[in-house]
Amino acid sequence: MPDDIVITVDNVCAGYDVPVLEGISFNVRRGEIFAILGGSGCGKSTLLKHMAGLTPPLAGEIRLMGDPVTGGSQADRARALRHFGMAYQSGALFGSMTLLENVSLPLESFTDLPRDARCLLAEMKLELVGLKEYASFFPAEISGGMKKRAAIARAMALDPEILLLDEPSAGLDPVTSAGLDRLILRIRDLQGVTVVMVTHELASIFAVAGRCIMLDKPSRSMLAEGRPSELRDNPPCAAVRAFFNREGKD
Amino acid sequence: MYLSLPEECSAENIARLWQETMPAITRLSSADELVVVADDVKSCAGSGEALILELHRRSATQGFAIVCQDRNGVVARTLRLFEVKRFLDNAEAGNSARRTETPVQIGKAVVEIFDNICEQLAFLGEMTVSAFKLLARPGRLRLRDTMLHLERVGVDALPIILLIGFLLGVILAFMSATSFRQFGVEVYVADLIAVGLFRELGALITAIILAGRSGSAFAAELGSMKVNEEIDALVTLGLPPVVFLAMPRVIAATLVMPFLTIFTIVSGLAGGVLVLMSLGIPATTYWQHVFNSTHLSNVLLGLSKAAVFGLLVGLVGCSQGLRASRTADAVGRAATAAVVGSLVLITVCDGIFAVLSYILGI
Repeated sequence: MPDDIVITVDNVCAGYDVPVLEGISFNVRRGEIFAILGGSGCGKSTLLKHMAGLTPPLAGEIRLMGDPVTGGSQADRARALRHFGMAYQSGALFGSMTLLENVSLPLESFTDLPRDARCLLAEMKLELVGLKEYASFFPAEISGGMKKRAAIARAMALDPEILLLDEPSAGLDPVTSAGLDRLILRIRDLQGVTVVMVTHELASIFAVAGRCIMLDKPSRSMLAEGRPSELRDNPPCAAVRAFFNREGKD
Repeated sequence: MYLSLPEECSAENIARLWQETMPAITRLSSADELVVVADDVKSCAGSGEALILELHRRSATQGFAIVCQDRNGVVARTLRLFEVKRFLDNAEAGNSARRTETPVQIGKAVVEIFDNICEQLAFLGEMTVSAFKLLARPGRLRLRDTMLHLERVGVDALPIILLIGFLLGVILAFMSATSFRQFGVEVYVADLIAVGLFRELGALITAIILAGRSGSAFAAELGSMKVNEEIDALVTLGLPPVVFLAMPRVIAATLVMPFLTIFTIVSGLAGGVLVLMSLGIPATTYWQHVFNSTHLSNVLLGLSKAAVFGLLVGLVGCSQGLRASRTADAVGRAATAAVVGSLVLITVCDGIFAVLSYILGI
């Protein structure tokens, strides 16, 4: 495996009980922003959950930094899971904790840092996403865009090498969405993380993604892989052209 | 003082260094100098950056000078990323700014209690108005939902009701038989069980089970619907949540409670007869005493109490669910508040019934 490949998805059959995707294979390279595209219900989020080790794929193998995410020994999986952080579509912040406590939680569980160090580090992560002033706020007191940024700060708490983002711009206005895109680019540049994001927001795809794959619901397969601009300008099939040109069905 | 940063500024290494050196750094004053040697640093995680920032923060507050040997530019990069002055008021200070004084907290608690009472009264008023409107137009009641809740609150609760009622009868019989035997009047245990279950315990125990089982479920269901914006959707569709959601539940709880109470009483009496038969008293004697001591007034009093308790459980459960806030933990809080509120109101109401029946000679 070449050194710069951090995620390998090999012949994966994705789904919970029934396969929604079959024979999916691709690699993600270190430091790139990789987008998983496709229409609603095509299995993007399911594939991301397989990559995060939340549920095992029905077949095939996923490796993070060479370690199997599912299958393999408990130690292999634990080692693989320490490589990434994940931010969920709704933020999934703990409602009974302040933003600072939410970000501190993984630090408290996985490091021996003293309390003041944990607080400062959590504050720094919140500063990175522009939420330092809201450290003592509860999730219910902030907007949807802020929740997503706070979720990214929590995912970044343990300095992961890979950041998995599930629909980071979904439900946000264009200005907030553009701000979030800039944040993703900034985090990649400053921290050198590899970002894998599931999205179907065209503006975000062109703003941040270096490479992408396009998944298809009817054929349960991967239709294309490449740079977003390449896929838009030279679509390999009608479904990819329809996605990039927003051609709706009547 | 010299402080050498490790080659790998990982969380493990920094945690050790932080604990070892921070006490000494805390003692530095404006006359001192701290030399931070970062020349060997090859990788620096967030915890390393936190240490660098903390040293500069302490330098700003304690006044000592910092000299950095920073061949790889790690310290400079951290200071470019994070402005020290923005971190001078630490998170604790940020939190304390939002922390409120005790008198303010007491004031807020009092206002909250007052608001709670007002909201409960408003809900009661809305329910009363809705009930009168329903009486005028009974077709507006969602009969299917009401039947569904009758099944959930009533039929589904029967196993637990029968079990608790039976055990209650057994406990009452054993407890009283021990004392009555000293006077040779064990046979009057049947009278005690009958009067106790019909007048008091039948309705009370059933209401407690209903509050724990169905009152909390009402609050949790409606609280979850509020979190999922289903209640907002009802309002925007022009459907009042009180009529649509609360009324079927409250009607179901009120109607089903007397029937559940009858089941509690019957299973309690069955528990009592088994115990007394084991003590050598014939079943016919037991039932004769039960029928002789059971007056219609006792039965009606017990069943009226049951209906009122059912109404209270339904009202409190629904009102707590509808006034829950929109967070996940609010659903749990609403369920707890529904059970506690129901139990308090049931006890208070039972006391009122006791006083009234004494005054009226029932």
